[in-house]
Formats: sequence, C-alpha cells, structure tokens
Amino acid sequence: MHKIYRVNMTDLSVKVEPVPAEWAGLGGRALTSTIVAAEVPPTCHPLGPNNKLVFAPGLLSGTAASNAGRFSCGAKSPLTGGIKESSAGGTSSRIIARLGIKAIIVEGQPAGDAWYALVVGKDGVEIREETETLGLGTFATVEKINARHGEDFGVITLGPAGEHMMAISNISVKDPESKIRSFGRGGLGAVMGSKRVKLLAIDPTGGAPLALADPAKFKEANRTFTKTLADHPVSGQGLKKYGTAVLVNVINEAGGLPTKNFTTGQCDHHDQISGEQMYDNIVAREGEPSHPCSPACQIQCSQVYNDKDGKYLTSGFEYETIWALGADGMIKDLDVIAEIDNVMDDLGVDSIETPVMFAVAMEAGLLPWGDGARMLQLLREDIAKATPLGRLLGGGTGHVGRAYGLTRIPVVKNQAIPAYDPRPIKGIGVTYATTTMGADHTAGYAIATNILNVGGKVDPLKNDGQVELSRNLQIATAAVDSTGLCLFIAFPALDIPACLGSVVEMLNARYGLALTGDDVVALGKNVLKIEHAFNLAAGLGPETDRLPEFFELESIAPHDAKWDMDQKELATFWNF
Amino acid sequence: MNGTPDTVEVVGFMDLAGLFRARGWTSPHRLPLAGPIDGFELLVRLDVSFDAVESLFVNHKAIGLADAVIRPGDRVALVPPGVPGPHRFCLGIWRRPSGS
Ligand code: SF4
Repeated sequence: MHKIYRVNMTDLSVKVEPVPAEWAGLGGRALTSTIVAAEVPPTCHPLGPNNKLVFAPGLLSGTAASNAGRFSCGAKSPLTGGIKESSAGGTSSRIIARLGIKAIIVEGQPAGDAWYALVVGKDGVEIREETETLGLGTFATVEKINARHGEDFGVITLGPAGEHMMAISNISVKDPESKIRSFGRGGLGAVMGSKRVKLLAIDPTGGAPLALADPAKFKEANRTFTKTLADHPVSGQGLKKYGTAVLVNVINEAGGLPTKNFTTGQCDHHDQISGEQMYDNIVAREGEPSHPCSPACQIQCSQVYNDKDGKYLTSGFEYETIWALGADGMIKDLDVIAEIDNVMDDLGVDSIETPVMFAVAMEAGLLPWGDGARMLQLLREDIAKATPLGRLLGGGTGHVGRAYGLTRIPVVKNQAIPAYDPRPIKGIGVTYATTTMGADHTAGYAIATNILNVGGKVDPLKNDGQVELSRNLQIATAAVDSTGLCLFIAFPALDIPACLGSVVEMLNARYGLALTGDDVVALGKNVLKIEHAFNLAAGLGPETDRLPEFFELESIAPHDAKWDMDQKELATFWNF
Repeated sequence: MNGTPDTVEVVGFMDLAGLFRARGWTSPHRLPLAGPIDGFELLVRLDVSFDAVESLFVNHKAIGLADAVIRPGDRVALVPPGVPGPHRFCLGIWRRPSGS
C-alpha cells in the first residue's frame, strides 16, 4: 500500500495520504518535479513557507534491481530560482521504498527558534524537537543518530551550511559505511534549513520486500540487466577501477578541462591530479578503489581514499570535485584536494558550487591560486561559523563574482558550471544553457535509443547537431532519474540493446504494466516540459537559457575556441 | 604538433598508462615516424592490441582508429574502452560496438 507522508512544519502536523492516481506511475525526479510544479507557487521565495521539499525513491528503488539505490529530492532552488531535482545514493532510498512511502513532502515553516528531527517510520512521521546535533557536521550527526536509533536507520541531514541557509549548502545522506552522499546541487540544504529540519531519521522497522506483479519476469530481466552492466567496459571495468576521476586526463587532452577559473582548457599538473594517480595512491595506501555508494550497486564507481599513513581521508572522490579544486582552483596536491572534499562533506556544501566559487574568489584576490590551506581555513572558520565573510562565500559562485565586480563568472541561472568547458565541447554548452536545473553536466548524461546514429558523429568544435544531441541526452536522463537507477547505467544502455530493454521489462514486471521504450522516452519528455513550465512561470524565460558572455569574448587554448551558438538555434531545444 | 618533426608523441590513459610505465617509457613516449600512418598502424608499431583502444586524440581532437591520419610531429593520446562521461558522445570518442 503506497502512501505519501505530508509533514507540515507550520503547525507541526503530519498526514498520511493515499497516492493520487495521476502520481501512481511516477517516481524519483518525475514525482518530485510533478509535486513541486503542482504545489509550489513558482514565484514564491525559495526559503519561505510556500516552498516544499520533496523526497521520492525511484520507480525501481527498494527492489532487487542492480544500481537502483538512488532517490530524488526536489524543491524550488534558492540558487537558481527555478525548479530543482537532485539525486543521491546512500541507504535511505531503499528503506523509504520498502516502507511503502512514495514521497515525503515537507512544507510550511515553524515560528520560533526551535529545530526539529523527523523520525520517519512505517506508520507516519514523528516531529521531535532537536538540540543534540545542532551545529554539528554531517559525520558527527550521523554518529549521534546511529547511537540514538541504531545503525540500521537511514539518515538525511544538514551540516552547518544548511543550518545557516547558505546557497552552497546540500543535503547529506548516510551511506552503507556511515559516510556521506549528497543531494548536491542547487542549495537544497538551505530549503531544509528554512523549515528548521536538521535531519530525517528513517526507521526500517516493518519495511518489507516490495511486491512484484511478475516476480519471475522481474528476476529474469534483472539478470539480463546485471549481465549487461558487467559486460560493458565502462560500467564493468572503467568506472569500477578508476572512478570518474579518469576524466581528468581525458578532458585535459581534449582541451576542455577548465583551468584557473576558465582561462585555459588544459592544466599543466593534470597528471598529479589524475584518476590514474588516484588509483595508484589508493592501492599503495590500502584504500578501496571500488566501493558502492548505495546497496546493490554493481558498478561501484566510488572509492575510499586514504592518506599517506593509511587513514581515511575521503570517499566518493569524484572527477568534478577533483577538477574544481585541482584545475579550476590550481591545487596540485591530491591529498589536500581529498581533505577539502571531506571537509565539504562535513559542512554539507556542494562540492562543485563551492570550489568553483573559490576559484572565482582566487581571481578576485581573496586567496592565492592553489592555496588549499587557506581554503580549508575559510571553510572551517568562516563558512562553518557563518561569519560575514563566510556568508559572502556561502552565497555561491555568482554571488562572490558579482560582489567583486568580475565578468568571468562561470554560472548559468546562477549555478556554477562544472568540469567540461563548453567552448571546445559544444554539446555540453547546449545542456548547460538549456537544462531546467541551471548549469548541470548530469542533466545530459544518459542516452536514448534514438541517438544511436548521432553518438560519435558530432564534431565537438562545431555547432551542427548539438541541440538535437543535447535534447536526446536530457530526455533520457530525466527518464533514468525517475527510475531510481544510477545514471551510469547509461553506457550499457546505449551500446547493448538488451540493457535498455531489461530496464523496461523490470518496470513492467514490478507494476504489471506493458510499457515500451517509447513510453519511457515520453516520460522523460514530460518531466522536462513540467520543469520548463515551472521555470517560465518563475521568471526564468528563454533569455536565461544562455551561457555567460565571457565564453563568447574569450577564446580558450588549445583549440582557440569560443562559444558561438546562435541563440535562436538554442531556442529550438524546446521544440518537442 | 609536438615540436619534434621526426617523432610522434604518445600518451596512454588508464591501464595503458600503467603498461607504458611498465615498459619503462617516459610520458609522453616518443616514437620515431617518417611519414603518415593510420591509427591501426600506430598501434602495431607501439605493440598495443586493437582491443585496448576505443579511440584516439590526435592533436587534441578525438578520432576513430581507422579515420586517424598520424603525421610526424603529432601528439596522440590512446583512449581505452571504459571511459565514462557525456563527452563520449559530445567529443565523439564513442565507437559503435560490433553487433549493436
Ligand atoms: S555507480 Fe557510483 S554513483 Fe552509481 S550507484 Fe554505484 S557508486 Fe553510486
């Protein structure tokens, strides 16, 4: 019996509601975006009482499907002013799904200064006043909740940045090792902080394996799916061994590694911060090169990275974070980068927005290029304690750039541009400009079967075909984000026809449906349209679907490329 | 162009970086080259199996093994199968697997 938990923080009440028929076939991003679009006034203040924070497991979350341990969080973003969906791993998605909870909606805003913990269980949500964990970092908070409730509870929490409602704040989710995974982008931590919710503790008691309409068919489809994940070189080998950090050298070679606040496309010390170097360090220091961020992850792109003495430094050490600190911010020492990554996890700040902001602050002269020690100090002393300087930095990349009168501010819809320069990789530029999320590389990560003839033929330095490529990537991504599957299933889904077919079969066997691949693509299209309509009503019109002007004015080495996509052509993105 | 007109400059990523290192090659490795060759011929001369490479960068542009023309003075990077990322399509390093 699926249900919606609605938590009203204004009067501290909870309702358990049946799932409306029109939401029954939705999960993950499709559901969070549908609920936000239906219930949040687009023009509301993101930190006011009318915004809502929605958590939703994907359509396959809680089943035995490989890599289905992810879930979505949605709201109106305080960073972009538009709709936001963010995906995270961790243990909570499976628990929530197995409790039969389709979505948790947190709405309203309490009067007074008290903070709250939401204890989510099989029968509802208990709202308890919270004091013990206030001001604590995410790691300490998880420890306290483990001690309070038991290690089998899921935990979704804020760090200090979220308590201070900073736009760089994220929402952290406990992973299988009681470390942290994040709903990273868009300042969702500030929305949770505005509702004075420090944490959700998810009680697994009474959770049950999910009923399947056709268990035998599901098992068979999952077997095929699992095999395709294992057989494909990206999901079966590359990601498992090197993680996403292998992209440092590859993107550097392509001339698309934004370096020193996007002033060049190659970084001299790329080998020092590469995935290959990371792998060598991990093996030499007895860390774990392959590691799951959530239960039943077969790909295991995550890792545990130790310091020179073999002590834990960080996990889930991703390309985008290493790029932002190492190339964009010019920090040469991978161990310092790992330490900063860990501190960002502890404070609960987005590990893309925050370092891109620091690179802008470096250009502004606020700290020297490559000075990791100063960055750590600013994180621990200023951002964690919300000093006036900390609040300036906590406002994000656009905020700091505007405060210092800079023109090279790499944001779209005020969200920091991640690790791929759009001048020599034009398709990524189209995604940054048009995605409903603000600059987001994952928005166009996956693939659809109908781009089989596009992949591999688009010249990255030319504009031809880029809008269509980006559109297909974004539609498929929105569909994958709705299943609870990790986006990295995209690689076998492109190359091995049985992979995508098995995903559709699992959906059918789970719910007793007769979907086709076209239905899944239609779901992705619908999600994008709902999100786009919300953004238009929120005031994010076509004029915001563009890259910052400096990409048109400044060419980037080694290709001497500028951004020269016609705005009218970009506008055709929405013709579907 | 790599600045030495009678060699080609070669780097390898992922497991190929380890292979090059195990062979005692510097990074980049310099291979003497007198005239143009294609990608497959380059791999033969490097003694690298065709299966170990999905695509190449020649002077920082991704190109398939069969389409690549490598000339003395060029820089080439070997990209093994297994590289993730949206750029696989956006950069054009994706090679259609046989049978798909
Ligand atoms: S592949 Fe990586 S991101 Fe995806 S579920 Fe596994 S560990 Fe998490």
